[in-house]
Amino acid sequence: MRRPAALLALCAAFVVATQALAAELPQRWVSAGGALSEWISVLGGEARLVGVDTTSQHPESLKALPSIGYQRQLSAEGILSLRPDLLVGTEEMGPPPVLAQVRKAGVRVELFSSQAELAAVDQNLKQLGALLGAEEKAAQLSASYHQQLEALQLQVKQAQQNHKAPGVLLLVGHAGAKPLIAGQGTAGDWVLRQAGARNLAEHQGYKNFSSEALAALDPDVVVFSDRALSGEQALQALLKENPALAASRAVRDKRLVSLDPTLLVGGLGPRLPTALQVLAAAFYPTSVAK
Amino acid sequence: MKQRIQPRTLFVCLTLLCLLAVWLSLALGPVSLPLIDTLRAGLRLLGLPIAADGLQQAEMILGQIRLPRTLLGLAVGAVLALSGVAMQGLFRNPLADPGLVGVAAGAAMGAAVAIVGGSWLGGMPEALAPYLLSLCAFIGGLGVTALVYRLGRRDGQTNVATMLLAGVAMTALGGAAVGLFSYLADDATLRTLTFWNLGSLNGASYDRLWPLLLIAAGVALWLPRRAKALNALLLGESEARHLGVDVERLKRELVFCTALGVGAAVAAAGLIGFIGLVVPHLVRLLAGPDHRVVLPASLLAGGVLMLFADLAARLLLAPAELPIGIVTAFIGAPFFLILLIRGRS
Repeated sequence: MRRPAALLALCAAFVVATQALAAELPQRWVSAGGALSEWISVLGGEARLVGVDTTSQHPESLKALPSIGYQRQLSAEGILSLRPDLLVGTEEMGPPPVLAQVRKAGVRVELFSSQAELAAVDQNLKQLGALLGAEEKAAQLSASYHQQLEALQLQVKQAQQNHKAPGVLLLVGHAGAKPLIAGQGTAGDWVLRQAGARNLAEHQGYKNFSSEALAALDPDVVVFSDRALSGEQALQALLKENPALAASRAVRDKRLVSLDPTLLVGGLGPRLPTALQVLAAAFYPTSVAK
Repeated sequence: MKQRIQPRTLFVCLTLLCLLAVWLSLALGPVSLPLIDTLRAGLRLLGLPIAADGLQQAEMILGQIRLPRTLLGLAVGAVLALSGVAMQGLFRNPLADPGLVGVAAGAAMGAAVAIVGGSWLGGMPEALAPYLLSLCAFIGGLGVTALVYRLGRRDGQTNVATMLLAGVAMTALGGAAVGLFSYLADDATLRTLTFWNLGSLNGASYDRLWPLLLIAAGVALWLPRRAKALNALLLGESEARHLGVDVERLKRELVFCTALGVGAAVAAAGLIGFIGLVVPHLVRLLAGPDHRVVLPASLLAGGVLMLFADLAARLLLAPAELPIGIVTAFIGAPFFLILLIRGRS
């Protein structure tokens, strides 16, 4: 008689304990950061999201959630109306008085890094894993992220023994018109360097170039990231709006690659290694596989 | 001549509308609170002894979010509308708006310096950092207006036409400076700058509110006292002088009140267009040009329009929010056009 009772008590205690543990984890999440929302989904926490900001575009299913607006222009009452336990965002999230109001209303606010560097990915994943109760999965993802990027580095190094690193420009535009060129210190620059390219643009940040300056740089490869169009259409628009490009080596050799612009916003996300592989394959067509 | 509304009727209507706007602004928001909780929390905030059980959320939302926001909206709307009257009176031109003496351009310039250049300044005292933007906008607005006023003065006389042209030139210069800063800005600061230019009552808090409330109260108490002088100025400068008005002093006061008021409003809520231009017109269309009516009525109407615009801004896209500058123009412009067309027929 005793033993089943004790067993029952043990089971009950166990159930209560796990419930208590689960209760400590935030259940209703609002995410204000594209890459963060993606990581949350990959970590299996999408069901906990009750609202996202306008930069959270991936995966597609996030678009069905209530939108809290742009990450820098959040509204305290709007967020509170979703009754969240937790608000996650990058250091770009704001304005600060609104965050203070949200905190005051008893919502936990967790900040993450949006820096384009591997250490930030590790730290963010660790933090998210702990908040989701998925530490193990987060550690795995972190490790495999490193692995993928290291493997790519190896491929790029090998390729560079036989080929010179191509000079590349990354153009970010809207239906081809007046593209901005990713300079030093941008997420775009990090992406290009990871994939083994030499970024020909030496300025800081994203800047507009005259078509003459574009032609003078004469890139070997052009990477274009269009917010309005995609694929072939974006390419056509780009060439139509920037005739100076037509004379460049990149266009003559048909070495133009498109890149999803959402990859460049709000820190490094889970889709990046695949995209980098594609870019590297375009930069070193004979040595790196897609 | 179209029939006008009696001042008394107008004031009663505006006061009622104002009370309605304040009530709605406190009662409505993306978080739906039961009416009874709103009432109880409101009474608690007024200091009445009511049990606090189950009211924490209502009290927090009412006290920390909606009340400061409502006060901010009232003060900004009132100050912008009053400054509009002051400028239209000073320039004797219905097209004048508070931006004309360069206060908006100066504030935008100050804001651009703060947003884009904030990191270059470096080594700023910790306590000052959150207020840098407001402070820079306020100083920029005041500085540029002072300069415009200086440029308009010659031989102890203020030439209004010169001042107007100087204002236009300084506005262009301010625009160029803001353009330069947006060129130097990175992606993130650029978006902040864009949103600041559209204005918002979002994130209002008491510590930012007090300076504006004090200035707004000062302007609201001072300007209506000068209603008679403004009426005299409508006749022309020399006529006003003959009627015993110290015209130079009046001009100085009008410019000073506008710079101070609009500077503080812009510092607290960003650039919000349209209120200053349209509210005085609305009031004049309804009640005629007597400044003894136009000034206090504009004060009320500015606050009312602002609160209704803010309600739309926070409710239309909830849980996201529209910048209020967009809403004031979207509501105000068609309304104004309707009045114009009706007034003509």
